[in-house]
Amino acid sequence: MLTIISVSVIFLGLLFYVVGTTKITRICDAAGIRPHSLFMYHGSFPAILAVAPPLVLLSLWVVADDIVFNMMLEARFPEGLEVEGRQTILILLAQIRNIAEGIIVGQPDDWIIGLADTLSNWRNTSDTIIAGITVGLSVICGLFGISRVKPEFRARNAVEALLLTGLGICSLIAIITTIGIVFSVIFESIRFFKLVPPLEFLTGTVWNPEFEGAARAGSGQEGMSAYGSIPLFVGTFLISIIALSVSVPVGLFSAIYLSEYASKRVRGTVKPLLEILAGVPTVVYGFFAALSVAPFFRETGGMFGLDVASESALAAGFVMGIMIIPFVSSLSDDVISAVPQSLRDAAFGLGSTKSEAIKKVVLPAALPGIVASIILAVSRAVGETMIVVMAAGLAANLSLNPLDAVTTVTAQIVTILVGDQEFESAKTLSAFALALTLIFITLVLNFFALQIVKKYREQYD
Amino acid sequence: MPLTKTEQIVNASLKARRKKERAFQLFGIAAIALALFFLVTLMGSILSKGIPGFFQYYITLEIELDRERLDPLGDLSEQSLFDGQAKKIIEEVVLEKTGAKSRNGRKAARKLLSNGSDTRLTSFVRANPSLLNSTQKVKFALDDDADSYFRGFVKKETPEQQRRLSNIQIEYLDKMNEDGLISHEISDYLFFGSASRNAEMAGIKGAAIGSVLTLLVCFVIAFPIGVATAVYLEEFAPKNKITEIIEININNLAAVPSVVFGILGLAIFINLFGLPRSIPLVGGMVLALMTLPTIIISSRAAIKSVPPSIRDGALGVGASKVQATMHHVVPLAIPGMLTGTIIGMAQALGETAPLLMIGMVAFIVDIPGSVTEPGTVLPVQIFMWADFAERMFVQKTSSAIIILLLFLILMNGGAIWLRKKLERRW
Amino acid sequence: MTDIVETIVNCDGVSVFYGENRAINNISIDIGKQSITAFIGPSGCGKSTFLRTINRMNDTIEGCRIEGRVTVDGQDIYDASVDVVPLRAKVGMVFQKPNPFPKTIYENVAYGPRIHGLARNKSQLDDIVEKALTGAGLWAEVRDRLQDSGTSLSGGQQQRLCIARTIAVEPQIILMDEPCSALDPIATSKIEALMSELSNEYTIIIVTHSMQQAARVSQKTAYFHLGNLIEYGDTKEIFVRPKDPQTEAYISGKIG
Repeated sequence: MLTIISVSVIFLGLLFYVVGTTKITRICDAAGIRPHSLFMYHGSFPAILAVAPPLVLLSLWVVADDIVFNMMLEARFPEGLEVEGRQTILILLAQIRNIAEGIIVGQPDDWIIGLADTLSNWRNTSDTIIAGITVGLSVICGLFGISRVKPEFRARNAVEALLLTGLGICSLIAIITTIGIVFSVIFESIRFFKLVPPLEFLTGTVWNPEFEGAARAGSGQEGMSAYGSIPLFVGTFLISIIALSVSVPVGLFSAIYLSEYASKRVRGTVKPLLEILAGVPTVVYGFFAALSVAPFFRETGGMFGLDVASESALAAGFVMGIMIIPFVSSLSDDVISAVPQSLRDAAFGLGSTKSEAIKKVVLPAALPGIVASIILAVSRAVGETMIVVMAAGLAANLSLNPLDAVTTVTAQIVTILVGDQEFESAKTLSAFALALTLIFITLVLNFFALQIVKKYREQYD
Repeated sequence: MPLTKTEQIVNASLKARRKKERAFQLFGIAAIALALFFLVTLMGSILSKGIPGFFQYYITLEIELDRERLDPLGDLSEQSLFDGQAKKIIEEVVLEKTGAKSRNGRKAARKLLSNGSDTRLTSFVRANPSLLNSTQKVKFALDDDADSYFRGFVKKETPEQQRRLSNIQIEYLDKMNEDGLISHEISDYLFFGSASRNAEMAGIKGAAIGSVLTLLVCFVIAFPIGVATAVYLEEFAPKNKITEIIEININNLAAVPSVVFGILGLAIFINLFGLPRSIPLVGGMVLALMTLPTIIISSRAAIKSVPPSIRDGALGVGASKVQATMHHVVPLAIPGMLTGTIIGMAQALGETAPLLMIGMVAFIVDIPGSVTEPGTVLPVQIFMWADFAERMFVQKTSSAIIILLLFLILMNGGAIWLRKKLERRW
Repeated sequence: MTDIVETIVNCDGVSVFYGENRAINNISIDIGKQSITAFIGPSGCGKSTFLRTINRMNDTIEGCRIEGRVTVDGQDIYDASVDVVPLRAKVGMVFQKPNPFPKTIYENVAYGPRIHGLARNKSQLDDIVEKALTGAGLWAEVRDRLQDSGTSLSGGQQQRLCIARTIAVEPQIILMDEPCSALDPIATSKIEALMSELSNEYTIIIVTHSMQQAARVSQKTAYFHLGNLIEYGDTKEIFVRPKDPQTEAYISGKIG
């Protein structure tokens, strides 16, 4: 249905293009004048009008129809029906939808079958209506466009204005995405904080969402599930620190060597090789961490009599560190290269050795940029998901021992939200609260890094 | 000539300073060596496990393709072949080749071939109906435990209770191997099989097609919107608060962890818009939003690199601002925009976490035929396989990783090639 | 050529190549101790390149190659055994654009003495800094704000800070590469006065674009053209009675 409507709208657009150009040609030929704009624009103007608004309307409807139908169906649920929570309603709605599409499982209640029939009726009607509205709108807009086509009509300016509007709307997608992200976490987070006080979430030291949280209030189950996020943040922090202690020295020294010492050829070979590390998908690192690095650490630790967990923070952090090396090195390389040559000349002119010039002049001058790149690396480490999911495990231990198993914010989000979820349960909602804090942390880090970079740029501009 | 005081001090300090200099350089070299060592270890570990995964052990059996038994309805329909006795026919041959007599022996022998052998036989029949009622050599995959035996992961020396193959099974395998029935070949299941719990039958075809569909959606959405945004911001946007907010937004989106985009997809596309889970359409939409910042930022850089003289030239002959941009600036910037887009797509191809959140982690045997049919993608397939304990899955996972990396190399190589080829020096 | 009291820099058949391009062509010149020698010539004539061969600053440019012999204090500075560190401590350099480090004024001057270990303790370092800043005529202006950033000074002050930074190491020779080209006339005159004062203690070689400046400050002048040394002699002689027609053409403003 959608395809038929879209194709006919586009066909109408082509038709209006032809009508527009024909009309202007005829008028101008008869009067022996030249129009203000090229014929093409006189055709495009009605064509764009005939195509764009109907298609926008159509896509809005595609997005909105299920939402509208669900609301209408809910209003028709039989009175006295006992519904526990949003989750049951969603299941019922899904059942009705399935039946309407011909998938019947078991013996549904009569009222459900009735509503399914209603739904298919609505769908058929709405299809007809939307088809009518869309095509009608297309014709009206197109005709309006045609009516404007006159030799003195500034068709080019009109078409350009339409085009710019389109471009402007596209650029709003970035804002819409941000709003979408905020919306998708904020409401669920608020609902979570109604079940679990924010203070408990932020300061609690036990994370144990395994027990059904919806039954918390007054069912005698209080205390069985716990939503103290401290262990997750400590785990995230621990793994990030391990990752940074691998990636910062290696990345920074590589950057220094490549930008200050290496010949063009070495630089040209090594730099792309390091970049490969950044291009490897995180799931590959996760596999590598879980399958090769973690057992290696476990065995090595065993040789020294250390008890290393098979899913240790060390393995996950170490591999994450490898992943971030090119991130640190290429950002640091940029800032080091941005230090003006005149400063190096000055240092060499005084008789510095190369390392003295680097340590005492180049690095201090590049320090803000290097700090910014490290902050960005932290934000990468905090947001990294697959490595920790695959290699760090899910044990919410409150521990700073790198040999223990810990869990992170991202790993918990994934574990909670993958697969079937129970809506309305504190467990599911907690993932959104975790996501909210995660977004907050990364944005703050990003903000500081950009601020530093900005200041740093001003220094040399 | 006597040395001045400065010269004396400087000369005295030289030795120590040179030493420090060398140490500093050594640190740099060590850092690079370490980074390269990590790279080599990573690649080495994956290649060493993954290359054997491209092969598996097959057994070639002479099967009598008795039409009455295989195709009881006689119309070669799915139902008819399903009703037929493909499984039994194969088992008879296996029992004959192994010489298994006892009840236990027969049971053990049956387990040596892959569970998918009957399907393999029926599809063979379907592809070659003319061969019915003749005796043909047909190749079947060994069960993954039997396969592991030939790979040396299951050893005879291990006590029987501790290994997954019984003594009698090993005896049968050795016998068939001596008879020349076993061969080690490129695994067709890996490339043409789909998700399966049986390691020997698992393949990436479904995931690869899912990846292609997902990326297609991602490209169709992200490229036009990204380019349009870049053109607008770089050429037309007024310098006001809204523009500033958009720019800050784009930078922030680039920093948001990918898992958050998964939550966006789950909450908005699935729960709010009511789109189905697990479909490439939603996956592509989520990845499009995620790659949008990359595309916008690189497209803006491409537009910026077009010298103003080109724009001025067009304006100078009376083109409007829109014409100058659309006729001159954008075509010149397209190669740069495409390069950025390919790099963004490569990121999207390797992305796992957001797709887990929108349900692409489901176990789906069917190969998606369109963007609205449930499917999975390569990285998620890798994630799922990585969870299985069988040795053969470890190898198949590594093989899938190699294939994924090859795709990535292809894409990034393409981007580099494009940049070199279309690079313009102003 | 006039006699030189005591030669400190001696160049013999020096040629400089950038890759395949010959930037300096077979130049031989002797430079006297505790004097000011000016290199003049049209832009691109190679005078700055030649100046940078005297403390091997050209080493920092990739693909740069030098032929011939340069000796400082009788030592061949391109000899394989020579370390550029003590060489540059001995032959300091002031650059065209003032390039203070983005550190405090104090740290800028203290940098050289620190890396070379010229001061045993803080008070010695303070003395060196004060002496250098005084020597560069900057002490009075900055004594109260030694902890301000070096980049906060005006252009002329920055350049004097760079000179102070150079003399803090107590070199024997100071190379100045168009030190006043980025400065206004008042700052320029201050630097010129400073140069005359410094020449009592140091040998100064200055590359300049301004003939007037060469005439005002230098005792000897060398005229370069397209990588060749055209004429070298007492400044007065060169400006009053140039021997070479090319020099005359430049001095009288026919080429520039």
